[in-house]
Amino acid sequence: MAGAVTDTEAAVARAWGWVAALREGATTPWREFAGAGDRRGHYLPGAQQLELLRRLNAAGRPGATLVERVLTASAPGRGRPDLELVGAAEESRFGPRPVDPAELPDAELARVATGLIAEDLVTAGPPAPVRDGRPRPWRRAYRLVGDPWLADPIRAELRRRGRPPGGKRPTILVLGTDLGTMLADAWTARSFAEGGAGWREWLGGFVAHDRTPPRADLVTHARTWADRVGRDRVQIVVSTEHLPALVGVRRPLPAPPAYPADAVDLARRVSAPLGLLVLPELRARLLHETLGAWLADAPGDRLGIPAAHVEWVQVRAAGMRDALLHAGYAVHGDPDALVPDAPAEGSTPDDAGVLRLAVRLLLDHGGRRSEEVPE
Amino acid sequence: MSSRVLLHVGTPKTGTSYLQDVLFRNRKTLAAGRIRYPADRFDAHFLAALDLMRMPWGGLEAEAIGAWDRLAEQVREHRHTSIISHEILATASRSQIGRALTSLGHGEGAEVHIVLSVRDLVRQIPAEWQENVKHRSGIGYQAFLDEIREPEREGRIASWFWGVQEIPDILDRWGHDLPPERIHVVTVPPAGGAPELLWKRFSQAFGLDGLDLDLEPDRANPSLGVPETALIRRINRAANRDLAPADYRPLVRELLAHQTLSRRRDSPRLALPPDVYPWVRDVEQAWVDEITVRGYDVVGDLAELLGAPPSDWADPDRPSEKQVAGAAVDAITALLLDNARLRHTEERLDRELAETRSALERAYLRPTYRLREKVVRRLQRGRVGRGLLRVYRAARGSSSRSA
Repeated sequence: MAGAVTDTEAAVARAWGWVAALREGATTPWREFAGAGDRRGHYLPGAQQLELLRRLNAAGRPGATLVERVLTASAPGRGRPDLELVGAAEESRFGPRPVDPAELPDAELARVATGLIAEDLVTAGPPAPVRDGRPRPWRRAYRLVGDPWLADPIRAELRRRGRPPGGKRPTILVLGTDLGTMLADAWTARSFAEGGAGWREWLGGFVAHDRTPPRADLVTHARTWADRVGRDRVQIVVSTEHLPALVGVRRPLPAPPAYPADAVDLARRVSAPLGLLVLPELRARLLHETLGAWLADAPGDRLGIPAAHVEWVQVRAAGMRDALLHAGYAVHGDPDALVPDAPAEGSTPDDAGVLRLAVRLLLDHGGRRSEEVPE
Repeated sequence: MSSRVLLHVGTPKTGTSYLQDVLFRNRKTLAAGRIRYPADRFDAHFLAALDLMRMPWGGLEAEAIGAWDRLAEQVREHRHTSIISHEILATASRSQIGRALTSLGHGEGAEVHIVLSVRDLVRQIPAEWQENVKHRSGIGYQAFLDEIREPEREGRIASWFWGVQEIPDILDRWGHDLPPERIHVVTVPPAGGAPELLWKRFSQAFGLDGLDLDLEPDRANPSLGVPETALIRRINRAANRDLAPADYRPLVRELLAHQTLSRRRDSPRLALPPDVYPWVRDVEQAWVDEITVRGYDVVGDLAELLGAPPSDWADPDRPSEKQVAGAAVDAITALLLDNARLRHTEERLDRELAETRSALERAYLRPTYRLREKVVRRLQRGRVGRGLLRVYRAARGSSSRSA
């Protein structure tokens, strides 16, 4: 019969119809969609990209640029390739199985989103660097080491106030807090730099080997510096309220940014594709300063130690406290504060939460057309 | 722009390293024949592929930033034939492929050809498992087979394996916009045949016949036997947490696997388990039928894609412990020798540094300084002397010791 549409052609038309509807802002899931449209492009976008667009439509109004970027995005790195929609074409014997996009795990959709967020960060660029204040001649000589998530913002602020670290015969201040928080800080610092394994996997590895991550290991920090400058000049600082007096300032010093667990995990996932767009130094700045600003008011619970590992953390912390006391360093604050007593509240990152955050960031910042990658 | 672009996109373990070596080494000769292989380093196309596919690779990605665009620019600047080759391109997504083809001039006058070198799955499967192990994986052989046989292909290993091996899918993604006569399938001859045969086929597919090329094998990628692969896998499981990728590559992959363990040719070779063969054969047959139907240009013989049934089978998950121990001793010996070499180098550098420092002192010191330094050194040896020095320094008002 001339003019009859085959099943395959009808299926393909339905798929292109869904793409067109999503472009216009539809939120109908694929299974329920019953329209048709013309072919517009060389290939049908993958199921992951289409479902991500549908979620963006459900959460807000993505601009035309963002829509096109999502439809032409690839999921960066390794993982499942672009998947076909089930029922969109004659099922091929080859290639990955077609899927119903609503059944895709959130982690897959987040993978596409993180690639786009990485591009957005590069387009936005880092904020202008803040100038250091003129060094005061009467400043105290110190060096601030220890938990990097606590120490880095304080060092930056002290530089701004004209009190950079260093000087003649500086006192080495090893900054720490309870081990549970320090473990979370170590993973957070990592996520905003080189990325790597997820929270459970990362922590589980150290538990299995009964080791403390280097960033959280105050004993090793102290020992390294004691070997260099002598034990008498190394002091452990267990609570930051003692710090202003030790470095010779009056106004209080800043606390580190407090991101919810999902935000930290999102930074971790963005770190990998970002590493392919910019060099490591710029990547760290984009993650800390640009992405950090975007995540400043993200909702959610903070990172917490999983219940299974709480006892291990307490034992390890007690060992750390004893080792520091035994070594004879001066300690500012209560050494018992290093040992967390009750299991701290908190949660572990969750794919659905990470995806929600990613969608929000794309809607807020992804509308711009991406320009030349800045050097 | 290039009138013709030959894009060789895979598959791994089909002699691609040898081909890329020959192309890299003979760039000048190729250029004289109006063929451009744009590469300033031997892994230039690898970095370009990482960039195109936004793929992290153990820290190398920082060197890959912008590499694809640079490669594409060189292809567009050239007027005649350009060749690009890297096997990980097989797994590129449709969107990345679209970007790649456009950047090379497809649709603007450049005639793009896709070349895919292929080998039977009976040999590819154990080879891919070994590649995984040499890239830090700790997965056992049976677990690997189970994962790639799973129909959903959700795991990373399965996604990667089929992404780089499933011939009809690769050619569909890369070639769906191209006429079949511009898609060339080069089959790898079965083991035991004439070694130059594969090169002849590559030469035909890439239009290199008649050029006087230096074909000496440079970077052979020798394979490991069953106990050697099992050993590397155990090393991975024990050391991965502590050994950084940048150290793993030269020590485990290069020194142990390629330079030491691959020399042990008497150990049993990796093979497909006999019970998996029927399933593999069905897959191979389906691919051969599909390629035939699609009408691609075949250089070689599609029947070679139907692998011979495996004869000798030694299970790498349950290897002979005696053989593994033998391989381990070889590995330890190699590491000891390398360690000794490094110690000698360190001693030599220490000596040179000490000589340099004293030469520097001699060059800059005044005669009285030398005298004063002698006095200080003598004083520091005794308790009274140290006390005198402390008094002196306190009186002087500043410390001459560094913080």
